[in-house]
Amino acid sequence: MTFPDHAGRWRFYRRLLVLPMAALLIYTCVATQVRAGDRNRELLIGIEPEHNIFDQMQRYRALAAYLSDELGLEVKLTIMSRYGEVLQRFRSLRLDGALLSSYTAALAIRELGLTPVANLVNLDEGSTSQGYIFVRKDSGIKNVEDMRGKSVVFVDPATAEGYVFARAFFRQHGIEDLDSHFSRHYYSGSHASAVFLVLDGRADIGSAKNTVYNQLVGRDSSILDELSIIATSPEMPEVTLCLKRELAPELLDKLRTSLLNMDQTIEGHNVLKQLAARRFVRSDPDDFAVIEEMAADAGMKILNGSAD
Amino acid sequence: MKVFRQYIAGGLLSVLLLILCFPGLSAAKVLIGVIMTGDIPYYGSMHQAFVDGLKKKLPPDQEVQFILQRPFPDPIAWSNAARKLIALDVDLIVSYGAPATHAVLFEKSSIPVVYAGVYEPQAAAFKGRQVSGCGYKIPLSSLLRYFKRIRDIQDLRVVYSSTEEDTVRQMTELVSLAEQQNINPVRMDIRSRGDLKKLKGISENDAVYMTGSSLAHVWSDEILTSLREKRIPAVGIFPDSNETGMLITLFQPPAQQGEAAAEIAAKIIGGEQADNIAPELLRETELIFNLAEAKELGITFPIQLIIEATRVIK
Repeated sequence: MTFPDHAGRWRFYRRLLVLPMAALLIYTCVATQVRAGDRNRELLIGIEPEHNIFDQMQRYRALAAYLSDELGLEVKLTIMSRYGEVLQRFRSLRLDGALLSSYTAALAIRELGLTPVANLVNLDEGSTSQGYIFVRKDSGIKNVEDMRGKSVVFVDPATAEGYVFARAFFRQHGIEDLDSHFSRHYYSGSHASAVFLVLDGRADIGSAKNTVYNQLVGRDSSILDELSIIATSPEMPEVTLCLKRELAPELLDKLRTSLLNMDQTIEGHNVLKQLAARRFVRSDPDDFAVIEEMAADAGMKILNGSAD
Repeated sequence: MKVFRQYIAGGLLSVLLLILCFPGLSAAKVLIGVIMTGDIPYYGSMHQAFVDGLKKKLPPDQEVQFILQRPFPDPIAWSNAARKLIALDVDLIVSYGAPATHAVLFEKSSIPVVYAGVYEPQAAAFKGRQVSGCGYKIPLSSLLRYFKRIRDIQDLRVVYSSTEEDTVRQMTELVSLAEQQNINPVRMDIRSRGDLKKLKGISENDAVYMTGSSLAHVWSDEILTSLREKRIPAVGIFPDSNETGMLITLFQPPAQQGEAAAEIAAKIIGGEQADNIAPELLRETELIFNLAEAKELGITFPIQLIIEATRVIK
């Protein structure tokens, strides 16, 4: 084959290479998707220790099975040992997503760039929770000044309702250093335990989530006669499913659709019943602004997740 | 020589004046009379903590002698013990439990009194000018709440003693709480050993709630042995020191009250007026589950409940 000039030869080669290059490009894209698909044959979702792990495993097992059927891949659950563990677990690339309480969700969205997908709506038709600061009615504690020299129990440093709100409240009332105002402070590890510790007199002041508090009151109304709520926080998203941005968009959409339509099917309805929930609703990233404000009021830096 | 004598006399007079002005410095040796409402481990631990705490708070050269009265839990015995200490002209009386404190204050002596181990001292309404101390408060409802989570209760036998005023208050509160929880409360007044026969009438579906009665705790081994034979669980607000069969205990640690009483006593020995020292109410509690006893009784503690305990006995 002869070419009239150098430019003609170049045009020939260019035409010759266009198709293989395009094919290669398409192959690369498809292969990437296939590899992403392979990687997502299993979806590992972390759960925080909301109440206690025994109850939780039971409640969430049904959700994992339901989502496995819906998505056509195995959804596995892992309960994290404590609230703040979510960041480490994501960093070690072991989690694809997590059902997170308000503070860790805000932290994970901000620091890890997770996508908030859906919020759980509880049986009271709410998808939000609030922090309570409470005392025994017979303790004589009415305000922050009365709390001087008393003991205080928080849930965990990585909970908005069970720590961040209380720290913000105390700071707004002039308490910067817990050790100098309280005789001692410690962490119960669960919201329910914080309530029981104050009921038993094992702590004078407690901080916990209103939904757990109300559940306990629902089971035993005498708690209302014994505890008094000193302060209540603004509402914040209670439980949010957050997923890694690296997940395939189709998978993310499919998962979101499954969750949002769960209450429309009998199987989904049964799973929600086990979760003591009505449905899932779409999550809005703006809902987490309140937690960032609260963390700032508490003197905490939400960006690095450190308490103090 | 005459001038020298005058200086000596002046010096002695100054020392005497100093002693009179600072009575806290006057006592080279302090004599402390102690009365326990009953000779039970709860008050024993409290007293040990009191003795240890006082040693730490007083100057190293301060000598202290204790006269310990452990009367049988009975009004006449408490009264006799109180009179004995007053007759010995002790510098300070320490009383453990409301009945012993009432007995001491009834004698209206001028000896300062420090009480400890008193359930809700405000309700005990101690009358006297030279009195201060520390007491405790247990949320009785909490114990009932935990009890209900491990088994259904039809009749709740509340063991108390009508000779011990504070346990009458506890019983009254428990009766009210039980009724709120749809449990039938049954009062078991223990005034003498003969009253232990009332345990024979307990049925398998009953449960027993031991108040802080010293009299009942003097015979606690017998009571718990009898209950175990019938596989009836018991809970209480005093620690089960020998771990002899109380299924759940929720109690105010006695050592804390002993230490608080020591602090008050040290202030009085140092010259402060007892009625100028604010009484203390200690609320911190410990929750103990006896899983070994539960196994004996065929009761299973839910794991969700076990995590709430301060300590479990296996």
